This record gives sequence, C-alpha cells and structure tokens, in this order.
Amino acid sequence: MHALALLAAGITVMGAIMVITRRVAVHAVLYLVVTLLALSVVLVMLGASFAAMLEVIIYAGAIMVLFIFVIMMLNLGQPDSQREKEWLRPRAWLGPGVLAAIVCMELLYCASPLSGPARLPVPITAHDVGLSLFGRYVLMVELVSFLLLAGLVTAFHIGRHREGGH
Amino acid sequence: MIGHDVFLPAPLLVLSFGIMIVLAATACRRSAGRSLLGGMVTLLLALAVVGLHTGGVSGSEGDTLFIQDRWTTYTAALSLFSSMCILLMSWRDTAHEGAGTGDEYVLLFMLGTLGALAMVFSANYMPFFMGLELLGVSLMGLVAFRRRPATAGHEAAMKYLILSGVSSAILLFGIGLAYGVTGSLRFAPPVATGDIPAALPMAATVMILVGMFFKLSAVPFHMWLPDVMEGARVPVAAFLAVVSKIAIFSSLVRYFGAEEQPPFLNDILYAVIVLTILGGNLLALRQTSLPRLMACSSIAHVGYLLIAFLCPGLLQAGAITIYLAAYSASTLGVFAIMTAFAPPDGPEGTVIAQWTGLFSSRPFLASAMTLMLLSLAGIPPGIGFLAKFQIAATGVAHQRDLLVCVLVIGSIIGLYYYLNIIRVMLAAPLFPSAGQNRDSRPELTALVIVLTIIVVIGGLFPVRAIHPILPMHPALPETRDETVHWRAGLR
Repeated sequence: MHALALLAAGITVMGAIMVITRRVAVHAVLYLVVTLLALSVVLVMLGASFAAMLEVIIYAGAIMVLFIFVIMMLNLGQPDSQREKEWLRPRAWLGPGVLAAIVCMELLYCASPLSGPARLPVPITAHDVGLSLFGRYVLMVELVSFLLLAGLVTAFHIGRHREGGH
Repeated sequence: MIGHDVFLPAPLLVLSFGIMIVLAATACRRSAGRSLLGGMVTLLLALAVVGLHTGGVSGSEGDTLFIQDRWTTYTAALSLFSSMCILLMSWRDTAHEGAGTGDEYVLLFMLGTLGALAMVFSANYMPFFMGLELLGVSLMGLVAFRRRPATAGHEAAMKYLILSGVSSAILLFGIGLAYGVTGSLRFAPPVATGDIPAALPMAATVMILVGMFFKLSAVPFHMWLPDVMEGARVPVAAFLAVVSKIAIFSSLVRYFGAEEQPPFLNDILYAVIVLTILGGNLLALRQTSLPRLMACSSIAHVGYLLIAFLCPGLLQAGAITIYLAAYSASTLGVFAIMTAFAPPDGPEGTVIAQWTGLFSSRPFLASAMTLMLLSLAGIPPGIGFLAKFQIAATGVAHQRDLLVCVLVIGSIIGLYYYLNIIRVMLAAPLFPSAGQNRDSRPELTALVIVLTIIVVIGGLFPVRAIHPILPMHPALPETRDETVHWRAGLR
C-alpha cells in the first residue's frame, strides 16, 4: 500500500514539474490532467474517495475542458493545420501517456484480487462531507465564496485592463 | 445548523453584508462614488460593532472557528481604522477614475479587509488560511490597479502572485503536517504525543513560521516587498505595509501565544530578528524612491516588533500594542502625505529628489511629514519614541543584550535615512514653481491632521492617551497587575 501511494505521489510531482516547464500550453494541460488523475489516486488511498471523484469530475473533467476551450479561443498566431500538427506529435503526448498508463495500471492492480483484501482507513462518504460543509464549516463555505468573488473581480480587472492596453 | 447558533464576530458579518450590498448596487448601476460611500459606511459600521458577536460561545475547546477577546478587538479595530484611512487616501483617484474601474477597486479593497479580519479573528487553521488567501488574491488585484505605467502594476502583481503562492504552499504544507501530528485544526503549535517523532511537529512549526515570515517579509524572505510596493499605487502600498502586516502579526501572536517559546524556535527567531533589523535598515540606506524606502523601513519595524514578541513578560503586551499603533499611525501618515503631494494623475511624487524644497512650497505637508518621520525614527515628539522605548525595555528586562544592541544600531542607521528626507525637504527648491499643481484635497488634509494629532497626543501624553485602549494579551492574564504597577512607576 505504501509503495503504491508513493508511486502515485511521485507521478503527481513529476507531472506538476512538467506542467510548469512546458513551453506549449496544450502540452502543459496534458500533464496537468495526469497530475490531477494521480492526485485522485492518492486521495483514494487515503480513504477520501468522494474527494477523489470530485477531483476527476470537476478538475480533470470540467476545468480541463475549459482550459482547452480557452486555448483554442485565443488562437495563438500560427495557422490551424500547422498548430494541430505541432500538438499531435508523439513528443507531445508520449510523456503524459506513459504517466497516465502507470496510474491506470496501478488502478487495475488495486481492483484485481492480486492485491489482497484492501485495508482502507475509515472511508469518508458524501454524507460526511455534506454534513461538515453545511454544518460545522458553513461559515467557511461562505468565506470561500468571497474568495471566489475576489478571484473573479481580480481576473476581470486584469483581463480587461490588458485588452484596453492593446 | 441553525443560524443563531453560529458564533461569528460581528465585524465579519457587517463587512460581508456590506460587500454584498456594494456588489448588488454595482449590478444595478455602476458608480464609483456610491461604492466608495458604501465601503466607507460599511467600515464605520464594522468599527462600531468591533467587540460584538452573534451566537453563543461554543463550549468545547478546539471546536470553534473564530475567537473574540481584547486582542482581536484591538487589532481588528486598528485594521479597520487603517483601512478607513487608506480608503480616504484613494478617494479622489478612485472617484476620478469613474465607474469602469473605481467600483472594482472598492470591492477588492473591502474583500481584502474582510480577509484581514478573518485572520485576526481566527482560532482555527481553516479561517486563517481562507483569510490569508482572500487578502492575497484581493491584494494582487489591487496591486494591478496602477494606471500610469500599466506594465509596472502588472509586473508587481505577478511578483506578488508567485511569491504569495509559494509562501501559501509552504504554510499549507506545515498546516498539513501539524494536522497529521495532532489530528486537530486548532490554531496552536503542534505538540508531539505518543510515538510520533519529535522532529515532525518541529518541522510543521518551522514551515508555518516560514510561511508567516514570507507574508510578514522578515529578512530572509523579504525580497518581494520593495518591488511590489514600488509597483503598486501609493494607497495600495499603504494597505500592504499596514493592514496586511497587522493581520499577520496578530495571527502570529495568537498562534504562538505570549509565553516562552521552545528553544529551537527561540534560536530561529533570534537569527531572523537580527537579520531583519540590520537587513531592512541597510537596504533602506541607498533607496531613492520613497515607497521602496518605506518598504525597507517597514521590514525593519517588523524586526523591532518581533523583539517584543520574543520577550514575554510584564512589558510585552504594552510594548506590542503601543508599537503596532505607533507604526500604523506614522506609516499611514507618511503615505497620506505622499498621496497629498502627488499630482492628480502624473507619475506620483515617489522619487525622494522631487521633494526638494517642500518646506518653502508647502510648509504644512512638510512639517507633518517631518513629524511622522521623526516618530518612525523614534524621536520624542512622536508616539514612536515611547514605542521604541518600550521595545528596548522588554529587551533589557530579558537580558537580550544582542537584540538590544541590534535595536540601537538599527535605530541609528534609521535616523540617517529618515533625516535625509527631512534634509531634502529643507533644501532650497530647484525650481521656484515646484508647487504648481496644488489642488486642494480637503479629505487628505483632514486625514493628515487627524493622524498628526494621534501621533502627537500619543507621544506627549502616552499614559493618558494610550491606556484606555490597551488590551492585555489573553494568554497572560496574570501579568496585568504587574504591568499596571510598571506603568504607575512611569507616571
């Protein structure tokens, strides 16, 4: 169990390093997907399967689609055909692909009977999460909404400002 | 959860409602003037209810998210007052900018103040971290608000974003380790129990301390502050130097408490204090831009404050509270005068050489500036003298000879660069028409007068003016009598 968790954590760190060193935005996004998937594996091993599901659905799913959408909207310079060729070279997807395959194999190994009976810590369910979010920590939820508001206003201001500068 | 059961300090509630009302008003019709008015009224209301709260105090220890006592009341009142002063400083520019960006500025400003208050009131890692991030994200937006060279503002905002992200990551790592050790999110240093190796809580404490030092810009982690303050607008720089530092220092005192620190922490603090005082003062020597100089001087003042933090005992509570008040009032005064001096939309009067001959062209501003600088340097007419005297007294009481030596050396270096500004203002003006764009800004004049009165009254009648607002530190209830005795001796 320890080795598996360390493997997933290592992939997370490696993916994160690759995210910030890539020069092409789409390559970074691919690595980011791998990072998020590996992170969700770590969360599962900690017994937080609900958080892991949210990680996959919201971050690796919805937010990534948004990122790719924005990158396509921005349409940076080159003609489309060239750009797509640049994106689809093996050099671009080989690294993320290998890392994702390792995470996938880890998942299969855990699911198979080879790994023996799983000894999870007490699992945290959606019910528990909901109870703490809207019970004890309800004020924190409100504070987070203010945090999102601050982020939104900041992004709005900086984005529009730059547009005006051109 | 039933609404009336939730323990929530009233200023947070008032500020949240104010933000929502301003937001709704913005959605109806965008107007900078109305937002400014809303922001000011909200801050005033929050200041009025600073000691109140909703709901009952939850009984079980470690279960509460917020806490309210005299220390929070004092620091929250100080942050709210400083926020009001800074909002007043930015009034004209914001109203001038019009509806497009002015109301966003006010909204971000209020959100930042909410973050600072959440940190002040926090008794749990979670509101502390949320407040820190709220303050950080809003400050990033505020720093980017500079119009003139727009790239300067963006560069400063980018620097702030990255360094604040790094420090938050370190802090979060420390919080995670602390949670791993204790299994609780209570806002207190982790203590090793059972078979957990002692290095783990130590590492957690050090990481949290490093994260706080980053935000407080103590010396090994100080590089960002001068750049960011130079790139930001003058009122935003004041917000960075005063409100954000008060909030973080308040949480630092809340976190580590006022008792004797463990030995490993003592050594780290010792080194950081020596480096901070010397580093901040030496960096300030060669600065030609006033915001950079104020940034370096604020680094040095954090060092002086940390001396008081490191010397628990009779004098500590008084020293910390008076120093915080003195630092806020004097720094706010300098920034207010800087705003008043700056022409409405030129490259602001941030270069020290531009202040030449201010005594002959605008004697009132120059005299007030002199007073504020002398107070920062710790010379008697201002409140800063008493503050520095008390810091030195705490150091002497604890026989921290090295720290007191460093304090003296730092003050001497500080005298050089503070007096240098006064010398520049006294010199004969280079251009006879230096005060050509002298528009009257009554709100700034009033603000400067109020701050001057605070600094002078605090300096001349320290006993009478300061005692009523002095809260004792919650962790040190037993020292109260002795402190009073000591003050009686002073009288």
